[in-house]
Amino acid sequence: MVFRFRIPSHWRAKPFRYRLIVYRCEDCGMVHQYPAIICRKCRSTRLRHTQLPQTAKLLSFTVVRQAPVGFEELAPYIVGVVEFEDGTRLVTQLTDCEPEELKIGMEVEAVVRKITQDGPSGLIIYGFKFRPRIV
Amino acid sequence: MTQVFAKGVGLVKVEEHWDKNIEYLMTKAAIEALKELRIEKIDAIYIGNVGAETLQYQSQLGALAAEQLGLIGIPSIRVESADSSGAAALREAYMAIASGILKTALVIGVEKLSDGLPEEFVSLTSMFDKYEYTGYQGLTQTSLAALLYQHYLVRYEIPQDYVAQFPVIMHENASTAPHAQYQFKISIDNVMNSPIVSEPLRRLECTAVADGAAAIVLCSRDALEKIGRDGAVEVAAVSMSTDFVSPFDREDPLKLGAVSLAFNDSLTRAKMTRKEIKIIELHDSYSILAPLILESLGFSQEGKAGIDVKKGKYSLSGELPINTFGGLKARGHPFGATGVYQVAELYLQLTGLAGKNQVDGAKAGLAISLGGLGSTAISTIMRTG
Repeated sequence: MVFRFRIPSHWRAKPFRYRLIVYRCEDCGMVHQYPAIICRKCRSTRLRHTQLPQTAKLLSFTVVRQAPVGFEELAPYIVGVVEFEDGTRLVTQLTDCEPEELKIGMEVEAVVRKITQDGPSGLIIYGFKFRPRIV
Repeated sequence: MTQVFAKGVGLVKVEEHWDKNIEYLMTKAAIEALKELRIEKIDAIYIGNVGAETLQYQSQLGALAAEQLGLIGIPSIRVESADSSGAAALREAYMAIASGILKTALVIGVEKLSDGLPEEFVSLTSMFDKYEYTGYQGLTQTSLAALLYQHYLVRYEIPQDYVAQFPVIMHENASTAPHAQYQFKISIDNVMNSPIVSEPLRRLECTAVADGAAAIVLCSRDALEKIGRDGAVEVAAVSMSTDFVSPFDREDPLKLGAVSLAFNDSLTRAKMTRKEIKIIELHDSYSILAPLILESLGFSQEGKAGIDVKKGKYSLSGELPINTFGGLKARGHPFGATGVYQVAELYLQLTGLAGKNQVDGAKAGLAISLGGLGSTAISTIMRTG
């Protein structure tokens, strides 16, 4: 399997991956990670782009030891689910910490980090990760 | 709508078949399924498979299977819905026969995972979720299952060994199943002391790389009269439902809504009640999915499936045996083939061909197949004709 990160795919995804821009349904509040035409929960067409808050609470976390293609060098790394004040959840990597420092329910904040690199001369993918809140 | 029957199954032992290619595996299962049947004509072939493009660089498995079986000319197509592909292929065949368009169909599930490197195997499973959301970040199916698992243990405040009991009974059942990948027993201590894969998931709570193929022949009532009714089992319903692809996008990630919807629809279509279900083959690609499925089906209360399994309710000799040949954990989980193995196993149970694993007196069984972590659910009810 020749597994490559697609340049147009990452280019399209930058608003979400760099700035947590999402599309929220103005009728039911459901969040869509990428541009959507119709709400996937209530079918409303009233979707508005908005930025998720920079802080959230940690709902669940674990460690990836068996890495997929492109993440072999990074493993083991922490991933988790964070929940924003309005109940929206986001799946993310957790960084700048060891698993022992994490507690369910603790506050975490968004940072931008290198996600992976597609070989020595390929695309470098950046995106959000969360870390324990510092201030 | 005509009744649909299953007659004839073929099961290749699940293992790493280094010396056999994907064509050989699917042909072997299909020939075994067809061998005893006095069948004049197969009207179509439906194949369940996920990974052939990525691992074998092979598409168009439909035409490939027709050619390998010497059945050039008949319609043949591959169906994909992650690791429920086999059940999805069965459903397509079921609908075509029920509608009257086809009289007979051959369903094959096939997967050959051992061709890939370990990280390619992991990447293939990352495609079951939303790749541009979770996969690109290095989230894997295993880590998402572990996140659900941790969430479950925290919410219901139960010790892990209640959930980890499921792999123990899977291995118990597989120890006497000739087509199972892991024909040996394990103890709860073995599970709890196996290496951590992704907290809290341990090695013996996950499935491993597997190759396999299973086949089943479906036919209409008219066709069955010609072939002979002996050893036929009715496919009473095959229902499918979907959910948000990524589990933490769902309102309650611990409720598998697609499982509930598909199961209830299949009961309605089969005109049956849940009490008539005497065996369940369910999709335990990770230990945690067994309680989530049983609770979503309503056979255990929320957070209580672990207690039920400890009490023996779901053992082979229990009130409601599950995964009578070891399930995904111990029979093995060749993704696209798994849904066909499950239904073929119900067939063996309902025709009295289950050998040492026979559950006596069962007249109806249920198979629940999942795509990913419940994004797709397919509920199949089989009953004695």
